[in-house]
Amino acid sequence: MKKKTKIYGMPFATNQLSGCEVNYFKFRESTENQTAKNEIPENQTKGGNEMRRIKFWRILLLVVVSAVLFVGCSSNESSSGKNGGSKKDNDELVIAVNENFITMDPHNTGDTNSNSVQSAMLEGLLGSDEEGKIVPQLAEEYSISDDALTYSFKLRQGVKFHDGEDFNAEAVKANFERIMNDDSLRLYSRGFSLITNIEIVSDYEIKVTLKEPYSGMLTRFVSAKILSPKLLEAGSDEIGKNPVGTGPFKFVEWVQGDHLSVERFDDYWDKKERVKKITYKPVPENGSRVAMLKTGEAQVIYPMPSQNIKELESNKDVEVKKIPSTIARYVSINTMKEPFDDVRIRQALNYAVDKDAFISVVNSGFGLPLDSIIPSKTLHYEKQEVYKQNIEKAKELLKEAGLEEGFKAEIWGNTNSDTMKGMQFIQQQLKEIGVDVEIKSMEEGTLSDEIYGAQTPEDAKVQMWYVSWSAYPSDTTNATKPLFYGGSFPPGGANTAYYKNDQVDQWIDEVNMTPDENKQAEIYSQIQKQVYKDAPWIFLGVDEILAGMRSNVEGVYISPTGGINVTDANLK
Amino acid sequence: MPQYVLKRIFEMIPILFIVSVLIFFFTHLIPGDPARLVAGKDATAEEVTIIRSELGLDKPIWDQYITYMGNLFQGDLGTSLKTRLPVMDMFADRFMPSIYLTLSSMVWALILGLLIGTLSAVFKNKWPDYLGMVTAVSGISLPGFWLGLLLIQVFSVQLGWFPTGGIDSWKSYVLPSLTLGAGIMSMLARFTRSSLLETLKADFIRTGRAKGLKESIVIPKHALRNSLIPVVTIAGLQFGFLLGGSVVVETVFSFPGMGRLLIDSISFRDYPVIQAELLLFSLEFILVNLLVDILYSFLNPKIRQVS
Repeated sequence: MKKKTKIYGMPFATNQLSGCEVNYFKFRESTENQTAKNEIPENQTKGGNEMRRIKFWRILLLVVVSAVLFVGCSSNESSSGKNGGSKKDNDELVIAVNENFITMDPHNTGDTNSNSVQSAMLEGLLGSDEEGKIVPQLAEEYSISDDALTYSFKLRQGVKFHDGEDFNAEAVKANFERIMNDDSLRLYSRGFSLITNIEIVSDYEIKVTLKEPYSGMLTRFVSAKILSPKLLEAGSDEIGKNPVGTGPFKFVEWVQGDHLSVERFDDYWDKKERVKKITYKPVPENGSRVAMLKTGEAQVIYPMPSQNIKELESNKDVEVKKIPSTIARYVSINTMKEPFDDVRIRQALNYAVDKDAFISVVNSGFGLPLDSIIPSKTLHYEKQEVYKQNIEKAKELLKEAGLEEGFKAEIWGNTNSDTMKGMQFIQQQLKEIGVDVEIKSMEEGTLSDEIYGAQTPEDAKVQMWYVSWSAYPSDTTNATKPLFYGGSFPPGGANTAYYKNDQVDQWIDEVNMTPDENKQAEIYSQIQKQVYKDAPWIFLGVDEILAGMRSNVEGVYISPTGGINVTDANLK
Repeated sequence: MPQYVLKRIFEMIPILFIVSVLIFFFTHLIPGDPARLVAGKDATAEEVTIIRSELGLDKPIWDQYITYMGNLFQGDLGTSLKTRLPVMDMFADRFMPSIYLTLSSMVWALILGLLIGTLSAVFKNKWPDYLGMVTAVSGISLPGFWLGLLLIQVFSVQLGWFPTGGIDSWKSYVLPSLTLGAGIMSMLARFTRSSLLETLKADFIRTGRAKGLKESIVIPKHALRNSLIPVVTIAGLQFGFLLGGSVVVETVFSFPGMGRLLIDSISFRDYPVIQAELLLFSLEFILVNLLVDILYSFLNPKIRQVS
């Protein structure tokens, strides 16, 4: 406050000062005018010329000064009473995120920000709650057959799409058929290609049958948002630009790169008091996003840069939210390359790294140690005994493996500054046990080419890769199978550790065949134990997600995957 | 003169053709597979193959080039691999804001740059010169990133005069154009000063003053006009660069411009967007160059005669 008044005072002070200056100039101008007039006609002396030159430039200066004054005064007037903080009326919620939205086609979305925006307008048969647990949404209840092949849904009645169409089993079928019939859509290969039959039992009951059991399917029913059948007829171009669903807000406009806005849908099935309008803005620069939160131009910012936390914690108008995420950070170790094919070496690398230091150095203190192969928010997570930093033990393991002297290795990562920091941290930690790490950072596209360009494990040049993985909390399959399954080697998956354990492969097959949650939990417990012990990664940390909100915001939360839920958004 | 302009416009066609070839092949030479990036990290090999053929990336590169040129002649810039939206649609919302921002930055930078440069030259080694050159040196040395954030802190957060970003009204353009123009203004001021100092030493200036011409005629009409050639060259170049968008300013002010779109497209290997944008920039650059050449001939009758 103190600071503010000080700066507010400044323009006035300068204005007054320059005001005086103008008078002073005018005065001198007029006196000199007279002298000039008197002198010049007499002769064209050098002095006269000089005088004229001075006169000309003085007038010019006068013009400039008054122009500056004018601008200063006018902007002063316009600013009075129009402070950024009070500008927004209470009916609009502005959410600033860090990246552009890519598409509004929910069946073909791969990025979190697009998902966030879509979730305001569109709903699936199932949804997820604040913790990431699956809950009924457009379906009132659901059941899975014992062979894990048939999913039955009882649909909510009396639901309308934003364009006035009715929501019913026909609409669901049309949506699922769109995904099944278009292999270029993301959701096709993620579950929907397994569907063999969709049966409409009645107007509000539908059964979906799969070719083979797939335990990630429930999560796919969350992702597969139901669009208006009318929109589906209009085709993919229209869907990507102008989504129509059943959600609490309906689409208004999307100005590429600037904003996307939605407004309250008054016929929404779950009646509650909600804010009238929500505008989403991509604001890539951290400092600008924080500035928007401070001025009240935005009520919610995500992500919140960690370096600004301290400064904002003392601000009464702003709340900082910390949410444990499903983003696991790790270094994958190519288990097929020497010397990493020896489990003792991989364990030694794990023992060499101080996880708490990693979180405080690389993640600015916001995070938790990765104490299993999946983050704690993921379904069926079970805490393992952490490889606590123990340099002696690490050296002993190296000695047992015959590499007492240490060895040279390479770590890859993208050019992101946080990744660089992380790789340097690993380099410094591994130096302690004599492992000399060379950092190779590559621009994302090139890196992806280097990793997924390898057609066979023998082709793979990667030794260690500093990377992260994130899956929906309810989707343990996606948090394990692409990473630890013997059939998921690049280019067919993300098992960049080239980790293959026949027992684990068998468990993964088994767990994906059963709909029984208890049995799943049991098998996942075994998988976690085994893989953690085999150490195909250096297990580092799980990010904590940070978001900033003005204190008058209600009903907005950030999910563990970084999605922004505004279903019940309101402003006090 | 019209003949000359027409000739120059015709000359643009082969240049643009060569540029299009270069852009196309260099874009495809960057390592990185768009199909993989489109498919996502958790995609299987089959999916990547499906997407590759969907995007037409499995065809021989010559084939792809012919398709691309064919579409281009029909005015079709293609469809973005990343968003699946027509490239035209993606440009639509960004092109005009970029132009406005460029123009507003150039206008104030030119006016103030010329003014400061002239004042500095006329009052060489006096306080207006020192003040002007301190301003100019600061303008050049302040990184745009820092200046932008500073302006936001003062004018948006503390004073609340202007928004922190976006393109809601004319106010949104003030801070970005100040940030963008600062460096250019300073550069123009320095060029104007040195060029004008050179000219002021010339005989015709002495003659003008000797025959009793007022300073208000000597400086703007005789001296400044003859000093403008290098200034116009620099201004033209800067103008061309600005039209290509400024990643820094667009990022700091979350401004929906062409620069950030290009960077995003490059990291995603979004070939159609990269190609269309580079082609557009080349076209803009060539046009600005033409404009500069025409301006030359107005400034210097000698050039007029030659052309």
